Amino acid sequence: MTNRRAQSLWFWLFAGPAVAGFAAFSLWPMLESLWLSFCQYEVVTPPRFIGVQNYAYLFAHDASFWPSVKVTLVFTVIQLPLAIGAALALALLLNQPVRGRGFWRAVYFLPSILPQAVFAVVFGYIFQADGGLLNRLLALGGLHGAAWTTSPTWALPVLIGISLWGFGYPMVIFLGGLQNVPRELYEAAHIDGAGAWARFRHVTLPLISPVIFFNVVMGVIGALKVFDLAYAFSVAQAQPAPGGPARATLFYGLNLYQQAFGYFHMGLASAMAWLLFACILLITAVNFRVGRRWVHYGD
Amino acid sequence: MHRRTSAATVCLYAALALGTLVMLVPLAWMLLTSLKTYPEILRNPPDWLPAAPQWQNYRTVWEGFAYYRYFLNSLFVAVMVIAGTVLTCCPAAYAFAYYEVRHKELIFGALLCTLMLPAQVTVIPLFKAFSALHWVNTYLPLIVPAWLGGNVFGIFLLRQFFRTIPPSFIEAARLDGASEWTILWRLVVPMSLPAVLTVVIFTFLWSWNDLFNPLVYLQSEELCTLPVGLLYFIARAEQLTGGSLGQTPWHLVMTLATIMVLPVVGLFAVFQRYFVEGVAASGVKG
Amino acid sequence: MPLRQREPLLWLTVVLLAVTGFWWAGRSREPRPAPGRTVISWYVITSPLRDLYTAEVAAFEKLHPGTEVRIFWVPGSEYNVKLKTLAAAHQLPDLFFSGDVWLSYLRPFSRDLTPLVQRDAAEFGLDDYFPAIRRAMQLDGKDYILPEYLNLSLLYYNRRMFAAAGLSEPAADWTWDDLVRAGQALTREGKDGSPPVWGCSRVEGWWGEWLIYVRQAGGKAFSPDGRRCLLDSPAAITGLKFYLEKSSRYHLSAPAGFEPLNGFVNQRVAMIVGGHVNYWLNYNQTPGLDWDVQLLPAGPASRSGGELAIAGYSISRESRHPEEAWALAKFLTRPEAIAAIVARGSLSVRRSVAEAALRQPGPRANPHNLAAAYRQFEFGEPIPHHPNYVEIMFLVVQPEIDRMLLGELSPAEAGRRAAAAANAFLDTFGSAAP
Repeated sequence: MTNRRAQSLWFWLFAGPAVAGFAAFSLWPMLESLWLSFCQYEVVTPPRFIGVQNYAYLFAHDASFWPSVKVTLVFTVIQLPLAIGAALALALLLNQPVRGRGFWRAVYFLPSILPQAVFAVVFGYIFQADGGLLNRLLALGGLHGAAWTTSPTWALPVLIGISLWGFGYPMVIFLGGLQNVPRELYEAAHIDGAGAWARFRHVTLPLISPVIFFNVVMGVIGALKVFDLAYAFSVAQAQPAPGGPARATLFYGLNLYQQAFGYFHMGLASAMAWLLFACILLITAVNFRVGRRWVHYGD
Repeated sequence: MHRRTSAATVCLYAALALGTLVMLVPLAWMLLTSLKTYPEILRNPPDWLPAAPQWQNYRTVWEGFAYYRYFLNSLFVAVMVIAGTVLTCCPAAYAFAYYEVRHKELIFGALLCTLMLPAQVTVIPLFKAFSALHWVNTYLPLIVPAWLGGNVFGIFLLRQFFRTIPPSFIEAARLDGASEWTILWRLVVPMSLPAVLTVVIFTFLWSWNDLFNPLVYLQSEELCTLPVGLLYFIARAEQLTGGSLGQTPWHLVMTLATIMVLPVVGLFAVFQRYFVEGVAASGVKG
Repeated sequence: MPLRQREPLLWLTVVLLAVTGFWWAGRSREPRPAPGRTVISWYVITSPLRDLYTAEVAAFEKLHPGTEVRIFWVPGSEYNVKLKTLAAAHQLPDLFFSGDVWLSYLRPFSRDLTPLVQRDAAEFGLDDYFPAIRRAMQLDGKDYILPEYLNLSLLYYNRRMFAAAGLSEPAADWTWDDLVRAGQALTREGKDGSPPVWGCSRVEGWWGEWLIYVRQAGGKAFSPDGRRCLLDSPAAITGLKFYLEKSSRYHLSAPAGFEPLNGFVNQRVAMIVGGHVNYWLNYNQTPGLDWDVQLLPAGPASRSGGELAIAGYSISRESRHPEEAWALAKFLTRPEAIAAIVARGSLSVRRSVAEAALRQPGPRANPHNLAAAYRQFEFGEPIPHHPNYVEIMFLVVQPEIDRMLLGELSPAEAGRRAAAAANAFLDTFGSAAP
């Protein structure tokens, strides 16, 4: 079709709904929530402009803001390397000529597509201090298990452990990346006398670095929006308020939900939403800047 | 290929098998617990297998506690979301793949950016707007975004796939006098069925597994979807069982969890290739 | 050419299905009246009384042929969040279950019932409510709730476990020291691999138990005007310390996080301080559980300090059928209805029903010492009627208490930190509260 006008007409006919959806469900809410973040808005009364007070309160006084930032950071810093490491290791294993590769891949991938709520509930049951499977097994060995789910020391590590079951996504992405590495490069390296480690270090790693980079970015963003897992975990533990014990599992996303829909501090929660958004922008920008330095794109 | 020593091979398979065990133990425990009786789940040390599988647990949850309703609710939302996704993402992907319009790449880039946007960032203004429309406590807030191209990942994936179709096919159809609409649905979409199927599967997963949106928008019990229903079940299990059990009836909770997981596992068993390809495709072009 | 083929029928089907789907998705769940009838909606917590409520509604509809009631069930754990969400969306039902704790923030959405209460006082027997209940019903002298039931902190104990340990049952003049002594005698820490048995439970994660000790030690959570958190006072810290030392020093309660689930029902915990009247039904359905109640043990400053909370019915400010909703509220709280609830195992908000229950001859179901429960009314205190009470307690105060239990903070530090954080919250949001 050469007619530009006809093209433009069809384009808007076809893409119009999606663009309208983008405007209505992403762009406009972003702008409105920026406005709300400078307001006191408790739903009962219309929003009232209060300047930067919400932000000031978050930074200086709010008892749950910094703990939730800390929980999210700790989760990211510990969970992400473990998840990416495990995913890469398994992808490397499965990239070998193993028999039944499809089966293994299926087994390792399956848990990551199941509902997070189910995982939180099933693991919550297994980790229960009093009567859970783990502590009963430990008791068989004469060990006294901890209060995994009800102690602030252990609750977050347990959640990190649970979330590791979902490393299937990065694993499959790694597998895709590994399969794009040309076999001849390995052959050449092998002929040059490179050992397994040297081949990994000098052939595999540079070539899959864009994939690692992609997984890191997605992992960080994923950590910033943890909700289902933490919320369901709280409910399964019958915690009176989500994010317990003692804010140990109060993820940023959960805290935001709680402020907005538990207590209706919509203005304050909007400020949290914008900080989250700024954070994501920043991380993405930094990642790309850093990524440019160490990521090896093929061409 | 180089022959590896048998010791290394054994290690490899042992590692894979051990990992499999770790991956599947929670699911196995869920399934086994769902087939036990209440006294059996309290036993200490635990029995691995139920003395006799209690299949009636499934009937209790499904019929006795009317969880078929939550199942149908979940299914209804998923079907509507999938329908909206297919009907709006296919044309949008076609438009972005084949038409030359000013600022097209900019618009597409903006759409892609929303992939990074967590739901928590936009939920407050959306809730405010949906309240004003009296859509809270209906399914509309969960469905309408999908009918407006809400699944940007789908648009992205389909566009990638559409682009692999040789333009000559499309030009030939145009010369035959086929309208754009016909070309899209009769030529391009049938040629891209694997990609469409992948989008359908992932849309189903997101809708089926979603806890956040139903939690925010659905208030009364009769409307709830399964993930919310699961949490409600735990919260009111004592009441459902008439308070006759001292502890949470974990055998029934696990039954419900298994019911939730089964459709996903079933789909995965049948369409494994599409799951894997969909994920791999998302990584191809970050 | 297949490409030329149009399929109008196919697309028509797709459109029709989509329209049907959207109709179903957006179908208003609000009641729509049949011609000549009024429909009112009622949100209620899913509870074991479900069958009772269903029967009550049927009886009400028979009595008021022009009115139809639609019940919406909401699980208890989510109830107040759901209700607030609906309030925010201007979709509150006509009649909803409310309580004095929730009322403080549901008040902007609740109808002022004072004129109706005054008008019909004689008809529904306003004088029949206990004076303590009457006090809890009102906020600044106005009525927002018609009470149906209540919770009262009590000392619960397992009679069989007391007899087995050769202990005499708790007496009305018990103090904390007696609680500790009996609790220690009842505790078996299960060294031989059997599950441990504890003398006294400990409620973790909310204020149900520790606030009792704080008040009994002479402390308070908030100043009377609700503008200051006072948990850093020496008296309050004494209360927190006792709460902590139940496990850390006296070993009559499980260490933090190891409280057996439903330990009282499973007979792995011999006593509960505080508890909830809602559980009576549960206890009485548990075979072999012989339980009773007593006045709360007295603290160093007083015996008072247990919770006295009420729950009942409020009417939405936006209800278009307040008279019908009010009629239903009166119907659900009439003496016969209260008596039916009390008969299942509960305490009565109405004096006439309580007296009838106490007069009832012959052996009574648990608790045998019903008189003690009603005597505890004198020592119960309502929860502070502060609009942000619930969220301050959950969001700001409770995490510090949790950390104290784990040994991360001393009681004094926990009290100080909780008070400081609560006061910062009050300074920012307190003044704006409606």
